[in-house]
Amino acid sequence: MRKQEKRALICLLIAAVLCIGVVVFGVRFVRDGGRWASFYGNTQIYTDGIINRGIVMDRNDELLIQCAREGVTYSEDSTIRKATIHAVGDPAGNIASGAISIYKSQLIGYDILNGTYDTDQSGKKIQLTIDANANVAAYNALAGRTGAVGVFNWKTGEIVCMVSTPSFDPYGYLPDDEDSSYYFNNFLDGALTPGSTFKLVTSAAVIDTLSDRGKFKFDCDGTNEFSGVDFTDIKTHGEVDFRDALAQSCNGAFGALTRKVGAAKMKEYVRKAGLVDPVEFDGIRTAGGKFKFPSDDDVTLSWAGIGQADDLVNPCALMIYMGAIANGGEAVQPTLIKSATFIKEITGGKSLGRYLDEDTANELRNMMKYNVQSNYGEENFPGLDIYAKSGTAETGSWNPDAWFVGFTDGANDPYAFVVWVKDGGYGSEVAAPIARTVLETLEADE
Amino acid sequence: METWLARIISFAEQYPEIAKDATTVMRWVFVVLAAYILLVSIFSLLTTRCTPEIWGYFLVEDGGNFPITHWENVIGRSRSSDIHIPLKTMSNSHAILSRKSEDKWVIKDLGSKNGTVVNGFPLEPGRRYMISLGDEIVMGGVHATVAPASLEESRNNEVMRRLDKEPVAPWKILVAITLFQFLTIIQLILGLGDKITLSAIISILLLSAVMWTYVTVFKAIGRKGFEMEMIAFFMSTINLAVTTSFDPGATLKEFIALLMGLALMIFMCIYLRDLERTRKLKPVLIGLSVVLLILNLLLGTASFGATNWIEIGNYTFQPSEIVKLAFICVGAGTLEELYNKRNTIVYAGFSLFCLACLALMSDFGTALIFFATYLVVSFLRSGDFSRLIFTGAGAGAMGVMILKFKPYIASRFQAWGHVWEPEFVDSMGYQQTRTMSFGAGGGLLGLGAGNGSLKYVGASNTDLVFGFVMEEWGFIIAALLVLCLITLTIFAVMSIIAGRSTFYTICACGAATMFLVQTMLNVFGAVDLFPLTGVTFPFVSTGGTSLLTSWAMLAYFKASDMRRNASLAVGKEEQRA
Repeated sequence: MRKQEKRALICLLIAAVLCIGVVVFGVRFVRDGGRWASFYGNTQIYTDGIINRGIVMDRNDELLIQCAREGVTYSEDSTIRKATIHAVGDPAGNIASGAISIYKSQLIGYDILNGTYDTDQSGKKIQLTIDANANVAAYNALAGRTGAVGVFNWKTGEIVCMVSTPSFDPYGYLPDDEDSSYYFNNFLDGALTPGSTFKLVTSAAVIDTLSDRGKFKFDCDGTNEFSGVDFTDIKTHGEVDFRDALAQSCNGAFGALTRKVGAAKMKEYVRKAGLVDPVEFDGIRTAGGKFKFPSDDDVTLSWAGIGQADDLVNPCALMIYMGAIANGGEAVQPTLIKSATFIKEITGGKSLGRYLDEDTANELRNMMKYNVQSNYGEENFPGLDIYAKSGTAETGSWNPDAWFVGFTDGANDPYAFVVWVKDGGYGSEVAAPIARTVLETLEADE
Repeated sequence: METWLARIISFAEQYPEIAKDATTVMRWVFVVLAAYILLVSIFSLLTTRCTPEIWGYFLVEDGGNFPITHWENVIGRSRSSDIHIPLKTMSNSHAILSRKSEDKWVIKDLGSKNGTVVNGFPLEPGRRYMISLGDEIVMGGVHATVAPASLEESRNNEVMRRLDKEPVAPWKILVAITLFQFLTIIQLILGLGDKITLSAIISILLLSAVMWTYVTVFKAIGRKGFEMEMIAFFMSTINLAVTTSFDPGATLKEFIALLMGLALMIFMCIYLRDLERTRKLKPVLIGLSVVLLILNLLLGTASFGATNWIEIGNYTFQPSEIVKLAFICVGAGTLEELYNKRNTIVYAGFSLFCLACLALMSDFGTALIFFATYLVVSFLRSGDFSRLIFTGAGAGAMGVMILKFKPYIASRFQAWGHVWEPEFVDSMGYQQTRTMSFGAGGGLLGLGAGNGSLKYVGASNTDLVFGFVMEEWGFIIAALLVLCLITLTIFAVMSIIAGRSTFYTICACGAATMFLVQTMLNVFGAVDLFPLTGVTFPFVSTGGTSLLTSWAMLAYFKASDMRRNASLAVGKEEQRA
């Protein structure tokens, strides 16, 4: 009998395997339960493959989408629907970064204790940080053109406006092709030629590396031939210093500055400015940027330094960089989910780290103010303490892309913004008014 | 009663918020009650160890006396002998000494080097000789004799056994289970609305009544240990709730199967008391099993790929489930039988036959259960670890062959570990992903009985029942159900210390293995830790034959329960004073 006593331990071994298996499953249950529960096969929360509970609102409690067993209801206003669809998402999940796709498990009210059990089965309310009115203003201002507008509070990180066009009305015709450009969010997923807005990155490198930048002079003859290639400007700027080179957006001058800074420093600064790596926040991952600074080809290096050549930037990343300049060099992570803001207002949003030295940021800030004063005209932005840079990106299309990026400062409106209009034309003419309209709407909504 | 039921349903429809609030509260109550019922039972089962009974003494001249604590004992030089005599003249396993009655013992030489001599008569190795108390036994020069336990020693042992911690009294647990059952009925009415049937409700009420009757009757005749039955009654309650949620029309049938299982368990417990009687039944069991399996092969109907059902009129049953009971009994053996080659060959042959039949039925899940049980039981019998590995490897090779010839099974292996991938999520991984999705939807507390949606997926109340319980009852209760079966196993292993015969302990360990492997295949298959094989969860899965067998299997555990007057499978202790 004593032999059997020992041999019987094999039964305990089997029991241990069962026990370990259940523990392994338990760990997965805790880790992946939310994802499992929000799987489309769960008919508790999906009716005909469409999520059937939860509400998404904007920052002012404007209803953006309501999911119920009877079906999905969007805002009653068709412009709101079109202006917010990329932030809200479509039930079919074609907009990958839409709130109802990314925050599914929050929408269905999943938590580990209750699972999908909900006392009234209406699901949870998610409040986005976006302002529907600002989105509508941006959408209208884009006026049917392809483009993107993003605005965020550079102190708290809250994205208050996010519009991408072309857009569509979820109650209207839905493209069948899931890769359709209608479903694409240019702001989060775009990688675009930055044009002259990139001079803000080159400028940061210049400030940090060229201590004699105060003596920098460039004589712009409008053609600015270098190595047999013309770095043409819209007009002849004559003799410009560093500050005016940025304000006039002189390609010749910035080509020369880029060559002075050198390829290695440019590589370092584009990474420091957060424009290379994708940005992750609230379950969203933006597209990364792409830049090439050849050390053996001064012509391409010059083009790259003025935001042309192979440069591709993600609008959201560029917006964060604007926020970093505004915030004394420290970048704040954007967010789309509204939470207890009083804490964020005191402590600020989550930091992404220091992009620029404080002095560098302040010098850039002054230069961006000077841009507005000397070029864009402060009178065009009444009541706004605005700092900006325009861009006109040559893409090989019939018309250049228009850009306008920058930020405002003030207790109530610490906003960093980015506006991009595909084939729009001149940045300061086309994109700047859009920025103004959106910022004014935000001001009025406060 | 019908009007009473209709009134509750219409009330719940009129005031859905109140109904919802009731469920919200009850989910907590269920978890607390389940934890109380199971943890108290498990704790009692695992902490009430018992002092082994003393059946006599083995007196060795100039070597002291050894208390004999089992009915079957190996005498030898090996450290693992029950009566351990460390002399060079002794063989490792020299002889077996078995108790037949109060003063009759049987001795059998195991082919020892120096032989065994009783009263001057040299024993033929391998033959059984009846000896009486006081007969002189000489083994390798050692003079010994079997003596009765003296009156004083018996009394001391009796006192020791009386001091053992008593099993927990069943009453509080009974009340808790009854409360659980009543709340389950209310929750099912709220969850199912007018789909609930009166017969389903009555079935659960009857289960409650049967449970009280069982405990009251056996308590009245002096039995004490009811933990295993409490665990089984609790698991059966979940079974009836799952069955009702899936199809309220099937609950009564399920209850009747449970009743038959309970009756069979009581019968088996009483039959198992007499070891000789049980041993003689083995050939009958082999014969019956062979007939059942052959009938299955001839008349079987297919379901989910396996042809493991027999239909008689309106009733269907699964012969392989019943054969499980025989399989364990045939595999068990007394210590003497373990040293008997012929007995081992008969068992191996019977196992091979069962496995072949199951393979022909394409019931590979059940085949795996039988095979694992065969391996464990063989190991308990022989202790031959290398043979265990060898047989396991051989079976593994066979398994690979099966995969080649059965593309359906191979495709299940392909999906294994990848069920969430788009390629499998709606095909071979359909059941697993739904199990996990709906199961996760239940959270820790569940959605409430009747509120689940996994029931609309095929085989959810049998193969995927773990997910079914997770969704409606929550992860905590689902995990507790697994813990119950692990507890039964630990108890079976612990009981060997005071076990009378290897027959009972092998039965208990075999039954434990069967439960464990079955649970493993069921749970792991449903949640993609193993390919889905389609076997039932003991006690919990819907299915008359499965539930009946689970209950009958409990008899093997009861037969190993040596706590004083605890088990009805053990004759009441004679008053020896």
